[in-house]
Amino acid sequence: MKVPVPIPAIKIGSAGHQVCHPAKAKDMVKIDLPKERPPDWKEAMLKKMAEVLDKYRSVRLFLDICVKCGACADKCQFFLGTGDPKNMPVARADLLRKVYKRYFTLGGKLWGRANESAELNETVLKDWYVYFYQCSQCRRCSVFCPYGIDTAEITMAAREIMAAAGVATKYVTEVVAKVYDTGNNLGIWAPAWKDNCAFLEEDLKDTEGLDIKFPVDAVGAEVLLIPPSADNFVNTNTMIGYAKMFHAAGISWTTSTYCNEGGNFGLFLNYANLKKINNRIIEAARQLQVKKIYWGE
Amino acid sequence: MATKFLFIYLPYISLGIFILGVLYQFWRWARTPVPLRIVIAPAPQTRRGIALRLIGDALWFPSLFKADKLLWAGGFLFHVFLWLVILRHLRYFLYPVPGWVEAIQTAGLYAGYLIPIPLAFLLARRLIFERALYISILGDFFALFLLLAISLSGILLQVFFRTYIVDVKALILGLIYFQPAISDYHWLFALHFVLIMVLLIYFPFGKLMHSGGLFFSSTRNQRANFEKRFVNPWDFPVAYNVQNLFPPEKYRETLKGMREGKKE
Repeated sequence: MKVPVPIPAIKIGSAGHQVCHPAKAKDMVKIDLPKERPPDWKEAMLKKMAEVLDKYRSVRLFLDICVKCGACADKCQFFLGTGDPKNMPVARADLLRKVYKRYFTLGGKLWGRANESAELNETVLKDWYVYFYQCSQCRRCSVFCPYGIDTAEITMAAREIMAAAGVATKYVTEVVAKVYDTGNNLGIWAPAWKDNCAFLEEDLKDTEGLDIKFPVDAVGAEVLLIPPSADNFVNTNTMIGYAKMFHAAGISWTTSTYCNEGGNFGLFLNYANLKKINNRIIEAARQLQVKKIYWGE
Repeated sequence: MATKFLFIYLPYISLGIFILGVLYQFWRWARTPVPLRIVIAPAPQTRRGIALRLIGDALWFPSLFKADKLLWAGGFLFHVFLWLVILRHLRYFLYPVPGWVEAIQTAGLYAGYLIPIPLAFLLARRLIFERALYISILGDFFALFLLLAISLSGILLQVFFRTYIVDVKALILGLIYFQPAISDYHWLFALHFVLIMVLLIYFPFGKLMHSGGLFFSSTRNQRANFEKRFVNPWDFPVAYNVQNLFPPEKYRETLKGMREGKKE
């Protein structure tokens, strides 16, 4: 049965206090981003914005053609949950659109406020930081938009712009830095990963009497398995399942301590890290000389 | 002089701005690369399927229908009426008038009478519904009031202040063949005419470009042919940061050691 979701009345600023923790300098250094917001952050962000507008047709087009019909407004779970009007996808995109109009369109340069444009300043940046991190990039709004305007594209652009001037959240940057440190999002170091695998081997032998190996960094195996790292940490039954399946099918396999996580937090930060994190999967496969990659998550 | 400006120079200026402006926007979008496949699934896998989907999007707004039935009804009726009215006006532009333009005269006439209703609804919902009011900007109201003013002045011209349409046709054909012929017009006709020029000038720079923009929208015009590799035109090789504790170089050394049978 379909239960209609009640659409909340708008409560201005009701989600404005839900702010993510800022990124730590030690993580930012590892992921090629400025340690902190420089004094000329505004110029840095506008420069990045110009670059993004020239690289992504989607961003430029979606900022240009929105007609503010409001079809997306009651489709966002963040709006349905908080009632904060800036969590309506159209209003979220407007946070970026206003600045775009001010600096990158004729109307905004000529008429300013009448064209609903805004200077990039502390207030606007605060709104960006709050509301662009209250989007889960689920793209539900794009399904209902008559022009297919995808707010995830806008959100990703805004986060890329902020990151270029050292503004990012601790949760995302810490995880990305961990991937480069340890190969996975949870920060499981190589010895711990090997130890966990050895433990699971023993466990399987003790409980079920099965002699099944959990190979790590085995050069020349047929398959490189990239599991979610939690499978070797909390959801160990899933990890045991992989091993049993490979054993039964008679396929030689391995995990890699350089790349043992398929989830990519670069998606929540910027293109360079997104690519770097995925690139290491290929690198691991080449180093281990496997024929196939099985990639979950 | 004022008459000459309004009926001879302004039409050429505004049509020039309209055509160049629209082409400029198309050029801006077309030159910007599409780096990723961001198709909304389920999507067609063939070009033909995409063409049909875009035509469907442009004609009856299926996404909007899923989202909001009332808004869909208002928007759909407005666009249908608008097309009928525009096609009906072709009789002032074409000589001799083709049969199909004659055939839709009655439909176009009634569409013209009815078009203020969906327009008034679209305006009212922006003022009444708090979510719509929150997101509305000056441009939204400007476009609605402009279209309302054009349609109401058109209705008044049709019903109360009947214009001598032979003069109107002479004016428009004169403009088309660069032999302008202006006569005396009622001030209401002048208003109707000038407002349309304003619409032409405004069109390329505001939200009205959604009409052409739809066809550039990556989420709607991409195919779901996932077996084919999608290449990012500005892709770059990634460089690793020397401060990473676990860079590929170190990993390679470890592996090399392991292959040679060294203990870590």
